[in-house]
Amino acid sequence: MIHRTSLIAAAVAGFVAAPVLAADDTMVWGKPAEITGFDVHVVGTVASWEMFQMVYETLLTTDEDMALQPGLAESWEQVSPTEYRLTIRDGAAFSNGRAVTTDDVIGSFERITDPETASYWSRQFGDIASLEATGEREVTVTLARPHTAFLPALAHISAAVIPAQEWRAGEFDPASQLMGSGPYMVVEHNQDESWTLEANPHYRGEDLPKASRLEVPIIPDESARIAALRDGRIDFTTFENPDVSLLLGRDETIAIDPIRTTNYYRVDVNALGEETPFADERVRRAMSLATDRDAINNAVFGGTTAVDYPVPRAFGTGACEDSESYAGTREERLEKARALLEEAGNTAPQVQLMASSANPTLGRIAQVMQQSLAEAGFEVEIEQVPTAEYLQRVFTDGDFDFSLSWLAGYTDPSMVIAWWNPQFAVWNTVFHEYDEDLATALEDVKQLPAGEERQAKLKEICGMMDRQANILALTSKVDYLVSRTDKIEVIADEVSGSSNTYRHIAEFESLD
Amino acid sequence: MRLPRDPLSVLGAICLAALVLIGLLGPWLPLGDPTAIGAGPRLGWPSLDHPMGLDELGRAFLPRVVDGIGATFLLSGAAVLITAVLGTILGMAAGYLGGLADDLVARGADVLFAFPALLLGLLVAAVMGPGAVSAVAVISAATLPLFIRVVRSVTLGVAGRGFVVTAEVAGASAWRVMLVHILPNVLGAAVVQLTYALSIGMIIESALSFLGLGVQPPDASLGSLLRQGSPYLTIAPHMVIGAGLVLSLAIMSVNLVGDAIRDALEPLRGRPLT
Amino acid sequence: MRLALHLLPRVGTAILTLFGVAVLVFLSLRLIPGGYADIMLGPFATPESRAAVAARYGLDQPVAVQFLRWLQAMASGDFGISMVTQRPVIDEFLRRAPVTLQLASMALGVAVVVGAPLGAASGVRAAGRGGAGRLVGALGASVPDFVLGSILIFVFSINDLWFRVGGYTPFLEDPVANLRTMTLPVLTLAVFGMALILRTTREATLRVMTEGHITAAVARGDAPRDIVRAHVLRNAAIPVVTVAATYFGFLMGGAVVVEVLYSIPGVGLFIFNGLMNRDYAIVQTGVLLAAVVFVAVNMLADAAYAVIDPRVGTRRA
Repeated sequence: MIHRTSLIAAAVAGFVAAPVLAADDTMVWGKPAEITGFDVHVVGTVASWEMFQMVYETLLTTDEDMALQPGLAESWEQVSPTEYRLTIRDGAAFSNGRAVTTDDVIGSFERITDPETASYWSRQFGDIASLEATGEREVTVTLARPHTAFLPALAHISAAVIPAQEWRAGEFDPASQLMGSGPYMVVEHNQDESWTLEANPHYRGEDLPKASRLEVPIIPDESARIAALRDGRIDFTTFENPDVSLLLGRDETIAIDPIRTTNYYRVDVNALGEETPFADERVRRAMSLATDRDAINNAVFGGTTAVDYPVPRAFGTGACEDSESYAGTREERLEKARALLEEAGNTAPQVQLMASSANPTLGRIAQVMQQSLAEAGFEVEIEQVPTAEYLQRVFTDGDFDFSLSWLAGYTDPSMVIAWWNPQFAVWNTVFHEYDEDLATALEDVKQLPAGEERQAKLKEICGMMDRQANILALTSKVDYLVSRTDKIEVIADEVSGSSNTYRHIAEFESLD
Repeated sequence: MRLPRDPLSVLGAICLAALVLIGLLGPWLPLGDPTAIGAGPRLGWPSLDHPMGLDELGRAFLPRVVDGIGATFLLSGAAVLITAVLGTILGMAAGYLGGLADDLVARGADVLFAFPALLLGLLVAAVMGPGAVSAVAVISAATLPLFIRVVRSVTLGVAGRGFVVTAEVAGASAWRVMLVHILPNVLGAAVVQLTYALSIGMIIESALSFLGLGVQPPDASLGSLLRQGSPYLTIAPHMVIGAGLVLSLAIMSVNLVGDAIRDALEPLRGRPLT
Repeated sequence: MRLALHLLPRVGTAILTLFGVAVLVFLSLRLIPGGYADIMLGPFATPESRAAVAARYGLDQPVAVQFLRWLQAMASGDFGISMVTQRPVIDEFLRRAPVTLQLASMALGVAVVVGAPLGAASGVRAAGRGGAGRLVGALGASVPDFVLGSILIFVFSINDLWFRVGGYTPFLEDPVANLRTMTLPVLTLAVFGMALILRTTREATLRVMTEGHITAAVARGDAPRDIVRAHVLRNAAIPVVTVAATYFGFLMGGAVVVEVLYSIPGVGLFIFNGLMNRDYAIVQTGVLLAAVVFVAVNMLADAAYAVIDPRVGTRRA
């Protein structure tokens, strides 16, 4: 029962409550959106991952070359195709002072793979057969089958290590609290307004994090964020809008660090709907052929990004470059598209392209696609709906023709393409066709180590994905880390695979 | 009924007529293609080729503004018309029939009125999905309560008048009385409210579009053009300035014309004190 | 006593109205596509996890059951929790209310202080049409607040002119810092209100000016200032009070657009985000609170009428 009078007193006190005064080594991070939930193993949105990455840690991380680096695990060994030994480093501790133990690691794995948690990430580990503490700081994970992407899967924040002891004792509720071994811990949170983080006194880094305090005002409006950067209210922030360099380029005190990611903008196509023209694979392929990715790059991104493929170009495999939708000239592809539509008996398909209205970039991509597809005969109507409606119509109801979004490419070529098997992914069963051959190939490639055989397999898979045209890749997604050079020194990776823009947050240094 | 001739009213009327004309004839005017992507450099500033510059996809902005005028007027106009018809019927019924009808209508109007306007709009838009139809619904829902109240209160004033009583005594049905006797007297106030509702409607429509819940691209309304242009205010202000000026002009001319109509219908014969 | 009798039936209707608002907001929220589970879990959610979230928040119950539960909870002071933070929403509202209150009162204050005298003067001086007053009124009512806001933000963020955009400091803690960030949003909001009040005052004044006893007073040779004071102000006050009350109610309902533009942590922004996140408790509580304020303000206005004009209260409502 809440005591109303004390709350009213608190409200009055709101007039006198002290906001935080910027201390000497306080950094201010303008966060573009509030988190959508607290549970690090369950929540699948970037806005939440950004915050989780300040507080939690993962066993491994990835560097600019997509290579695995130590995180909470200081070393690891693949003893057999299905067995991995991870050694937890000494000196890592949660913010309450307790050291990170094998029990925490095993407990976190158990929580993620527990069906009750319903974590979307558990499937990326492969099939875990057993977890065992085989040493004071050693954990052995045995899989039922080889799964090449097991280690890279440990580098994503959704595989965070939580304080299992406190969780089991009921002292810590991951669904409403954040407590981890990362550089910062949460001191205050005002919903939709701001967070205040302070350095984790038990953080394993020496003299890290450099900034003892992190203020995080939440500023969703882009222009407001730009204004805040300009007048010094925030020290750093991120933008998705590729025009940010135009908007802030002339400002000498502002630095823009583009971070290439393995993420790319994508098109989801409804292959299973009853009334959609896209139920016919030929119509889907025609649409894929008629999509003009260069036009998207030029008109929407001013040429600052690049065409991308289902297997992200950042991995450098080039596996999908010869697929039908990418090869040849635009005229050749348009010819093929029109021919396919003729064959399908639908030369002027009427379709609706959906996008969440929360991201203006998607709206612009939609308008370019509308024009490009018209050249092949498609009549496209655009629908920009609020995020919640987009999520329900595309992923629950299957009530759409095709829609725009983006995909995280993670840290291994075989991870993102795993989603092309709806039985594995589950989140796209409502619109994605199941193809036995493709599913088998996807399983195979997960077990192949890097090399010629894997490369060939990837190429084969690219061909199949292109023909099925159920999910299309458009252009790479670049994130921009923008900061005030006179107030802060930031360190940004040029390439990032784990949606971890602030991988080096502990080393950010406040200059004022 | 004497139409006012003062400069402001005349200016307002001319502006309004011009804008409506432009909005109606827009698609046929040789101003360029509002949807042709890449017609010029992205975010290009106004020039002889493109008098209002270009937007972030390289489309000429002038034809888009013209489209926007048409859309804004069409949406608000349609909504206000619906409000007028519904509001007049409901308001008269409430004022004249009284009793249960009055209670239902008046309470219903109260509920809508007490609902924070923009939130009501957001909810309606959320339920119906974005687009022209929901924009019309939102504007209607937001302007209906006040309209009903005004019509109702005028009806109350008229209901007791002599000619109405005479008609009732002569055996006229309630509907006939309302249609033939009350309606003409309500019209004046209704028309005045209509113009104010129109200007409020245009503001609401543009606010909704600004928040992302209005017309769908590549169609444009003045509000959605403002939404498009505002991230680029610092490097390409011509979009916000262009759309903003036109929108303000449109709303202002509606207000001025509304004032003029009100003055004509209820002339004030006062004498200045000084 | 007369005042109380006058207001009593109003209280009854007020309660009915609030109930209507509650039903409306509750139902419409459940009609909106997409739920919190979608937002929280993102696109990768499995049907099981969605179902788990729905069950956790009682969203799988029939609507009528949910509604009754909500009413019941409110009766015992429980306004629900935010699904994002798991904390009671009423705490957040109480924390943000002072911000919106300050915004609303200051905007109202500016609007009345600037608009009323201008409107009265315009009406008294030129009992006809035209005039600068009318132009200012028309202008002010024509520029949407987000256009004005965008331009102000642009001007003040390019040039360092002391006023700042975004960030909020409570007034009692640092009045100067508070005014630095609140002035621009208040101005943005006040322009429309000022225009509204100006026009209403002008028309009310004009109307009063044509009444018999004014012309009689002029004929009698009374000084203009006395006439204005004795007759005009009193009679013109009622419509102005009405409009001011409506305007204040609108402001307290959350000037969402301005709060979004200027990143002001007020009630409007909170409700807006709650709607986007399908965080039902926030929207329900917020809309209800705004309606309560609106109804209360209108009752205050009613009481004011009775005080201003003794004839009020003896007429049929």
